[in-house]
Amino acid sequence: MRAGRPDIPALVAGLAILALGGVLLLDSLGAIELSFGWFAPLACAVVGAILLANGLARRE
Amino acid sequence: MSAGSHPGTRLGLLRRDRSGRWIAGVCAGIARRYGIDAALVRLAFVIATAAGGLGIALYALAWLVIPAGDAPRRRRLPTGRGAVEVALGTGLLLLSVLLAFRELGLWFSDPVVWPLVLIASGGALIWRGSATAAPAPAEAPTAPLVRKDEPERQRLAGVAAAASRTGLGIALVVAAGFAFLQATGALSAARDVVLTLVAVVVVLGAISAPWILRLVRSLTEERTQRIRSQERAEMAAHLHDSVLQTLALVQRRSGDPQVAALARRQERELRAWLAERPGPGRGSRLEPALEAAAAAVEESHGVPVEVVVVGDRELDPAVEALVAATREAMTNAAKFGAGSPVDVYAESNAGGLRVFVRDRGPGFDPSALPPDRRGVRESIVGRMRRHGGRATITSSPETGTEVELELPARSDR
Repeated sequence: MRAGRPDIPALVAGLAILALGGVLLLDSLGAIELSFGWFAPLACAVVGAILLANGLARRE
Repeated sequence: MSAGSHPGTRLGLLRRDRSGRWIAGVCAGIARRYGIDAALVRLAFVIATAAGGLGIALYALAWLVIPAGDAPRRRRLPTGRGAVEVALGTGLLLLSVLLAFRELGLWFSDPVVWPLVLIASGGALIWRGSATAAPAPAEAPTAPLVRKDEPERQRLAGVAAAASRTGLGIALVVAAGFAFLQATGALSAARDVVLTLVAVVVVLGAISAPWILRLVRSLTEERTQRIRSQERAEMAAHLHDSVLQTLALVQRRSGDPQVAALARRQERELRAWLAERPGPGRGSRLEPALEAAAAAVEESHGVPVEVVVVGDRELDPAVEALVAATREAMTNAAKFGAGSPVDVYAESNAGGLRVFVRDRGPGFDPSALPPDRRGVRESIVGRMRRHGGRATITSSPETGTEVELELPARSDR
């Protein structure tokens, strides 16, 4: 395994999708009530975070 | 602990950028620190303000927390695909914040906030496009004879990208206007106004199209001429520093009069070409005619003849006679000037035309000219008199000989 700096964009993408999956799982289990009004900003935030991390990393 | 106490940490480098500030430099400082466009950060604060006034509170907090000071270094803004991703990502994050605020009820109203968001986004794009499209300071080309297509292509690509950004920004602002009018029910009333405006613009455009087209062409031609002129000036400077200096050196150092004369003729032709005037003997103007006469005398007698002309003019019979008299005076100076260089100075203005031909030879007595010296009497003095002018010869052993030829203005002859 190669030691070095973590791949920030991949890390951000993984964490964001993990969070989204967690929220969807909680919704499926009935723990929370996820309406479209909350799902839309969540999806936007996930995609936005991934794009921002990629864009900032690309200039390095 | 203050944010500035750990200069090595990421937070420690965050400073309010006073040099690029609009209010307190919070947005400019954040943009500098994280290498993103300041317009995006400002846009985020504006949108956050629109959604419940949170942006103002956040800005005030940042003003208090973040110390002032110039950022340690300016990070390069992301370009190309990176810039697009940063902009899209920031936009989506802002959108998510807005939607969340809307869901929480921290919201003014849809007809106000969404058009405001569109206007802010479009304004940021227009601002960025205008900043990118600003012309860069002209740099002097280091090698003007080599075409540099690559920087030109990059410049054109940058201009095209800025134009597309500006176009998208304008579209967003217009869409915001439509959205606001639609939401407030004023679109039908505005439609009549817009139709009237469109009709007026079309009519005015049809009327003024020829002038606009001519203006655009004129501006394009002027720009082309300016670029050509600049390139020519660069080339002239380059040739002056290299070829002309070498030709001057050849004239001074060469022991062979023919080589010196050849170098002088080449120098004269090159100077005429660089000054965009006809070469010696070409065209029907005074300066090339005098240059041609000087070149012919140089070739015949191997003596350098320096010609300076101030104020050129068209040739007419009287001016042609003056050129012929000047040539005769140059020939005499070359023949009897003991090899000294011949200086010719011509000045043309509204009052008339004067030419001085001078050498630094031993001189002679003009009043004691033998009767058989028809060159001076007929070819110079007589010729000038016949065309309404005069010739004056001044000569002494100390100063050499000067022939002054004067031709008054055409109305006074």
